[in-house]
Amino acid sequence: MSPAGGAPASTKLSPLAARRLVERARSRAGGATRTLSAVVRAPTWPGSVERPVPRRNVGADYDTAWSRTPAARAARAVLVEGVTRPFVRAVAPPTILGADQLDALEGPAIFAANHSSHLDTAIVLSALPARFRRKSVVAAAADYFFDRRWKGDLWSLWLGTIPVERARISRRGADLAAKLIDDGWSLVIYPEGGRSQDGWGQEFHGGAAYLAKRCSVPVVPVHLHGVRPILPKGRNRLRPGRVEVRIGTPLWPLAAAASGREEDARRFAARIEASVAALADEAETDWWSARRRAAAGLTPDPRGPDVAPWRRAWELPDSRRAERPQKPISSWKPW
Amino acid sequence: MSPRPGFVLEVDRSTPPTMLWHGDGFRQERFPVGTRVVYPPEPVPALADPDAAIRHALEHPVGGSPPLSALLRPGMKLTIAFDDVSLPLPPMRAPDTRERVIGAVLDAAAAGGVDDVVLIAALALHRRMTDDELRHALGSRIFDAFAPHGLLRQHDAEDPDAMVHLGLTDQGEDVEISRRAAESDLLVYVNITLVPMDGGHKSVATGLASYRSIRHHHNVRAMQHSRSFMDRHHSELHSSNWRMGRLIADAGVRIFQIETTLNLDTFPSSFSFLQRREWEWTLRDRAGFHGTRAALERTPPALARQIFHSIRSPHALASVQAGEVEAVHDLTLANLYRQQLVQVEGQSDVLTMGLPYLGPYNVNSVMNPILVSCLGLGYFFNMYRGKPLVREGGVLIISHPTPWAFDPVQHPSYIDFFEQVLAETTDPLEIEAKYEESFATDPWYIHLYRTSHAYHGVHPFYMWYWGAHALQHLGQVIIVGGDRAAVRRMGFKPASTFADAFEMAEDVVGRDPTITHIHNPPVFMSEVT
Amino acid sequence: MRALILERSLGRFAAARAASLLAGSGSGIAVGPLRLTDTEPPEPPGPGWHHVRPRLAGICGSDLSTLDGASSRYFEPIVSFPFVPGHEIVGDVVGGELDGVRVVVEPVLGCLARGIDPPCAACTAGRKGACERLAYGHLRPGLQTGYCADTGGGWSELLVAHESQLRPVPDGLGDEAAVMVEPAACAVHAALAGGVVAGERAVVLGAGTLGLATLAALRHHSLPSAIVVVAKHPVQRELAGALGADQVVAPEELPRAVRRLTGSLAASRSGGLGRLAGGADVVFDCVGSAGSIASSLAVVRAGGRVVLIGMPGSARVDLAPLWQREITLAGAYAYGSEDTPDGPRSTFDLAFELVASAHLERIVSARYPLERYEEAIRHAAAAGRRGAVKVVFDLRRSSRRGWRAAADVEAGS
Repeated sequence: MSPAGGAPASTKLSPLAARRLVERARSRAGGATRTLSAVVRAPTWPGSVERPVPRRNVGADYDTAWSRTPAARAARAVLVEGVTRPFVRAVAPPTILGADQLDALEGPAIFAANHSSHLDTAIVLSALPARFRRKSVVAAAADYFFDRRWKGDLWSLWLGTIPVERARISRRGADLAAKLIDDGWSLVIYPEGGRSQDGWGQEFHGGAAYLAKRCSVPVVPVHLHGVRPILPKGRNRLRPGRVEVRIGTPLWPLAAAASGREEDARRFAARIEASVAALADEAETDWWSARRRAAAGLTPDPRGPDVAPWRRAWELPDSRRAERPQKPISSWKPW
Repeated sequence: MSPRPGFVLEVDRSTPPTMLWHGDGFRQERFPVGTRVVYPPEPVPALADPDAAIRHALEHPVGGSPPLSALLRPGMKLTIAFDDVSLPLPPMRAPDTRERVIGAVLDAAAAGGVDDVVLIAALALHRRMTDDELRHALGSRIFDAFAPHGLLRQHDAEDPDAMVHLGLTDQGEDVEISRRAAESDLLVYVNITLVPMDGGHKSVATGLASYRSIRHHHNVRAMQHSRSFMDRHHSELHSSNWRMGRLIADAGVRIFQIETTLNLDTFPSSFSFLQRREWEWTLRDRAGFHGTRAALERTPPALARQIFHSIRSPHALASVQAGEVEAVHDLTLANLYRQQLVQVEGQSDVLTMGLPYLGPYNVNSVMNPILVSCLGLGYFFNMYRGKPLVREGGVLIISHPTPWAFDPVQHPSYIDFFEQVLAETTDPLEIEAKYEESFATDPWYIHLYRTSHAYHGVHPFYMWYWGAHALQHLGQVIIVGGDRAAVRRMGFKPASTFADAFEMAEDVVGRDPTITHIHNPPVFMSEVT
Repeated sequence: MRALILERSLGRFAAARAASLLAGSGSGIAVGPLRLTDTEPPEPPGPGWHHVRPRLAGICGSDLSTLDGASSRYFEPIVSFPFVPGHEIVGDVVGGELDGVRVVVEPVLGCLARGIDPPCAACTAGRKGACERLAYGHLRPGLQTGYCADTGGGWSELLVAHESQLRPVPDGLGDEAAVMVEPAACAVHAALAGGVVAGERAVVLGAGTLGLATLAALRHHSLPSAIVVVAKHPVQRELAGALGADQVVAPEELPRAVRRLTGSLAASRSGGLGRLAGGADVVFDCVGSAGSIASSLAVVRAGGRVVLIGMPGSARVDLAPLWQREITLAGAYAYGSEDTPDGPRSTFDLAFELVASAHLERIVSARYPLERYEEAIRHAAAAGRRGAVKVVFDLRRSSRRGWRAAADVEAGS
């Protein structure tokens, strides 16, 4: 190892000098890393200082006001026209029936639809006439669409969702919806409170009826036919297919004069449900049969028969039948 | 034109080369002049309206059974058991017969207001079916109505809580079957009888039974006393199952048996040459055969296997009968024989056969050497009524690549059987006495059988026993084109070509032997007089 | 005197290493550090030393790895160059009061041979194999005869051995049996170190000389309920069966065989066997490679023992199972004295008994004269594949003259 021989000593690096150089380079690099990490990482909180409770901006408390500013509405219009509607036309081209029912409507309305798929909102928004589409909000489950901050941001920007609690009417959610309706916004709501589990309908909650009464706006029954086979609950792969959107006659809460006493929200909700059921019957049969059966009180119950689960599944019409995802099996390859 | 029956060709100098299976491929052989080639019958016509035929059978049962609709009432417990993935072969095009039949049964059950319905795949000690296979067999409508609620089950012979012991037959045989089936008010069994071994009391007494029960007829003694186990009236396997079936009936289990037969239209039209006699091959058949063979030679074996296993058979429903088990089965056999039986006169010294890529136990999997032996010595050899096609002390020549390959998912115990048991001895009696119990009770095999898609630990033994009658009867078994080590491990002789195999056979049966060749597909039954 | 000498030549070691990596063990013999020379016999380094003329001298796996240049550098301080290899030796004492006595050499060069007094603790206790003074005393370093520059070794016509190393051979025992005594002693030591008790299940990994001798020792000294032997080659399979293996399996068959034997469960994710839940009680690894250690850890039960008998080197092994399943991994190198039910006994005495009772002379399958050492080494390196187990040098005068063309005559069986 000794620097013997003819080479001039100055060009040789002694082992000691080499080690020093390496160490210096290493400490310089370490310094840069430390600086960088000090910038990137947030400082730790001293144990002796009390931390303020962070504001929760998720769930039902999520504040969606920003999504109704002109800038957000413009962005949403671009998204709906440029992404949502072309997407719906590609995977679930809808036939819209009864759009003329909306011609007479002046102000805002509450659109109450059956619910079986995540696609429903995109389809309804695509199907509504522009004047409603441009100024509508969608009631979305606070626990599902607003459980993370980013999800709340995403959905309220894209679909104009507002958080509502599924089962009960919370003061905050109802006040917000009522205020928006009073301000001229239409509301899309799914009174079933969630997507269908097995293809059959579920009981309608009273929220839509309550808001219609409170704000004196009509409820428009909407029925979506054939969406479940495309994307049912529990599957995440699309199977494109055609759908039908039926828009029914707008329903007004009956005034006291008509029935002797004022119709309460529960009865009104039942009337909305019956109206959607009649649209469902019409989708399976034809308009005239459905009308006659509705008149005779013989409209089939969209909630299905109260029998064993297999028989409910057995009697499900094809338009609501969807192949469930395979249960995970071992990912074996036999060869 | 009505379908032609099967017949026996005597090879002469103008006979074109005979086509035969060779695992995932085909070969052509010119057999020696004078060789008899037994050809299967042509497919009988399919039922014009299968769904109507099924409904008719359900409402007009045989053997004194009331119509199905009369047996269904609200509040009852109904179990529908069906044959598993081992039937039919190859898997049939949708809709599967099981889908049609079970659909009709369920329509009746819905009309009758039956809420408590459970479907059980009667797989005995076979592997559990995958969801895809269940969906294919039953159709999406049935699968989606039952599977999500846990009402579509697979028989689990190793679940002590799910089995019930019904007693002993007069011969001391344990009868232990599925508790749900035994305790139902009505058990409907939906069967596909592809070969004469299937169906009858075997459906419930074996399909829904446990090892404790099955071992009484799946053993070497029963096999060696069956002439053959494909002939129900000369089969110890079936005698035992019939005793058990009667005990099950006496125990109060009410069975409504629905049996179906299929016609012999086994392969889709792209493989038309498989089912046509060589001298009748059209330009399309000839191009199909040579094109397919050339393509297969250039295809990696794994891919070739995958292609073959994706074939769906055009099998059509040929008959359906329902009602009391024994009366139904007599009709089924008559229908099956009408389609499948071929008259052959006399035995020969040598029997040859080409074996396909598929047997009952390797659906969606590789045919391992034990299954090759089972298919050749078990199934094909035993497809006779009267006496075997080959004389006692004769030679069986099989054409199959017989690779030393196993599917570790489906056949874990087969690997150990091949590596550890057959290395020691190939004598079925010795194997049964020395090893069967330890394999049958091995906790790992049981675990895989219950939770994965593995055949039961004892299953390779049954596959070996299936060949016991042939092993006893034959002087030698030669496999042409097989993996030498694998063939020798089973105690057989490997040969490179049929010519060599015939030379080797002459050492056993003497010069200028008589030769019979079974032409398949499809699979058929010979009546040897 | 003619002798095979191993010199310290880094270039030649490197060449041998390269050749063995490229073309397999033994293929570097021509370019390696071993050469045949005519040299002066070693002089007795002190009183109590005798000249021994080897009759047979074995080629051991550790010799082969030295010749391949694959030995661990760990051994450098306890080896002195140049040395004559060969530590499995049966020969005749030449001169002195023991002249003409046929002996087996116990090769460990412990304190007694090195003239160290008082001896180290291990030697005092009779555990020569564990001697702490292998590089000290009046001899140059060397853990055994055959690794020491002062003593010579078995692969020559003459060596020196200390009287404490000499083990007279009983008259009834042939040379082929006697040359097996040294490996048998290693095997006895290992088998007893495994502590197999009645009813336990043992696996012997490898069926070369050590594997077969370990199998024989297990059969002789303990009562395992089953012994599974892993053998690659037909000759090994046959001998393993003859020596009392309950099951002989190919390496890839081992996990399945152990699983079935022990009725163990296995965790399989994608259909393979996966990890065994249980396993064998003791595994004797007679190979000593990273792969064999990993296999051993894979088939031993939780709390079981793995005894390493084959000479390992530096190896990359996942020790997670060792930790999680609390497996004991123990080495078993050489002999000294063993605790037996009849009190402590010399391992070599037990080995003499074992060789005679198990007829281990049948393991000696080929003999070569020194002149054909290249062939001999190649044969030994490919022993199993070429149908042999133990290859030895034959230095007997009678056979020197009439050397037949076919040296690799089957012996014993």
